[in-house]
Amino acid sequence: MPAFDFSLLLSGHYHDMLLAGLRLSLQLLWLTLLLAVPLALLIALLRLSAVAALRGLAWLFVELVRNVPLLAHMLFWYFGAPEILPEPVREWLYARNFEALAAVVALTLYTAAYMSEDVRSGIRAVPQVQFEAGRALGFGFLSTLRLVVLPQALRVTVPPLISQTLNLWKNTSIATVIGTAEMMYQASRVETETFRSFEAFVFATVSYLFVSLLITGLASWYQYRFPARSL
Amino acid sequence: MRIPFSGPFVVPALLAALLTFTAVAAQADQLADIKKKGEIVFGVLGIDEPNSFVDPKTREFIGYEVDLANAVAKQIGVKPVFKQLAVAARIPELQQGHVDVLAASLTHNKERESQVDFGLTHFVTGSKVLVKKSSGIKNVAELAGKKALTVKGGTQGPNLLKLVPTAEVVTFESTQQAFQALQQGKGVAYVNDEASLLSDFAKLGAAGKDYLILPQNLNVEPLAFGIKKGEAAVKVAIDETLRALEKSGQANQIFLKWYGPQTPLKFPKRNFKIDSDKVEG
Repeated sequence: MPAFDFSLLLSGHYHDMLLAGLRLSLQLLWLTLLLAVPLALLIALLRLSAVAALRGLAWLFVELVRNVPLLAHMLFWYFGAPEILPEPVREWLYARNFEALAAVVALTLYTAAYMSEDVRSGIRAVPQVQFEAGRALGFGFLSTLRLVVLPQALRVTVPPLISQTLNLWKNTSIATVIGTAEMMYQASRVETETFRSFEAFVFATVSYLFVSLLITGLASWYQYRFPARSL
Repeated sequence: MRIPFSGPFVVPALLAALLTFTAVAAQADQLADIKKKGEIVFGVLGIDEPNSFVDPKTREFIGYEVDLANAVAKQIGVKPVFKQLAVAARIPELQQGHVDVLAASLTHNKERESQVDFGLTHFVTGSKVLVKKSSGIKNVAELAGKKALTVKGGTQGPNLLKLVPTAEVVTFESTQQAFQALQQGKGVAYVNDEASLLSDFAKLGAAGKDYLILPQNLNVEPLAFGIKKGEAAVKVAIDETLRALEKSGQANQIFLKWYGPQTPLKFPKRNFKIDSDKVEG
């Protein structure tokens, strides 16, 4: 077995390729997070809505998305969905980095479905009387949510959301199947061009592990610093 | 398939080096021995359609390289005998004298020239590019800055980048996904090995009129007969046979028989000539 060649990872063309992959993976992570959290909140509220139709719709979305593998989501948003768009829109999209865009759409919907369940659990953990008390004090429905219920709910929701973020970080690697140039994609490119499989995938593994541990650390810190208040 | 930590050529190369030093060059003239025996032994792959494979009816070896080999035997005036070889065993078997000539889809490259001599190049293959006619692209150089689609892990992507470093290569898990992406317009070009590309092109059916196969090969893999190092008389016999086939038009007929429009591979025409035993480094 040839010696482990660190120089491949430290500088040069392949180093740049792997770093570009890491950068895109991180971009997928934060962009998805930015979109998925508000969407999850919206879906959770819909699932708790007084209107049965809205509740049903949100339920359907969560079940449809959660029960299909992320791989299938990726392939659907890349190969399937754009086909129903009109030709000029498609051309406009394809002229851009559609590989990354489709990945963000798939990851956002997938992550939001899981996160919405966590947010819903958090809201349900706040006793009903808190809501009633808010209404009794003269706050409207949304104001009661915003000022009374959500501040308490989100505090218990943050740890599971961080855990979902960890899953999201690892899930970004699935985007390689639709040609998104994220870290796994770049690692296999380096492998193909150099035959240095070991170095390329060690880089990817260490990077995934490092960012994952950071996220885990953040979760522990949050739980220590902001423990859930007894309600 | 690739084995990560051992180069595919390491073992055969070591064997070859060993054998070169130990084998005693007994025959001064291999061609004289062939004539004395009354037979010439060709090493073939035997499972490599359409170059050499077994006819299910007759159980005989047939194929493009088999036809060429038969012509060589006829020219020398001896009986052809075919011996099936594994890819990695080809060069060692030749050097040990178990076969006289290799007709085994052997790529002629510079690295191998120190181990074996090669006959005239009798087949040229390589990766090619399929584009939509609407893209207006007529040659490979115009792919600069454009999105080209191909399969992960193959040599297609790197070969394109060698010629057009600024092309944006996007790879997928299978060639069929890349081909699908081309049809959907997610890139302007689809890169694949020539034979597979032609079969994909055939799948388009009537839609094929909107597509164009660019004429250039991205890389060149010349196939040639392998001859034991220094056996000049054998090489002359082979090259003369091939030149005669080329001149009479029979070489083209044999090509069309195995690769032509009537075959599953559907090569529209032959785009090389059998006239050189030189390869580029």
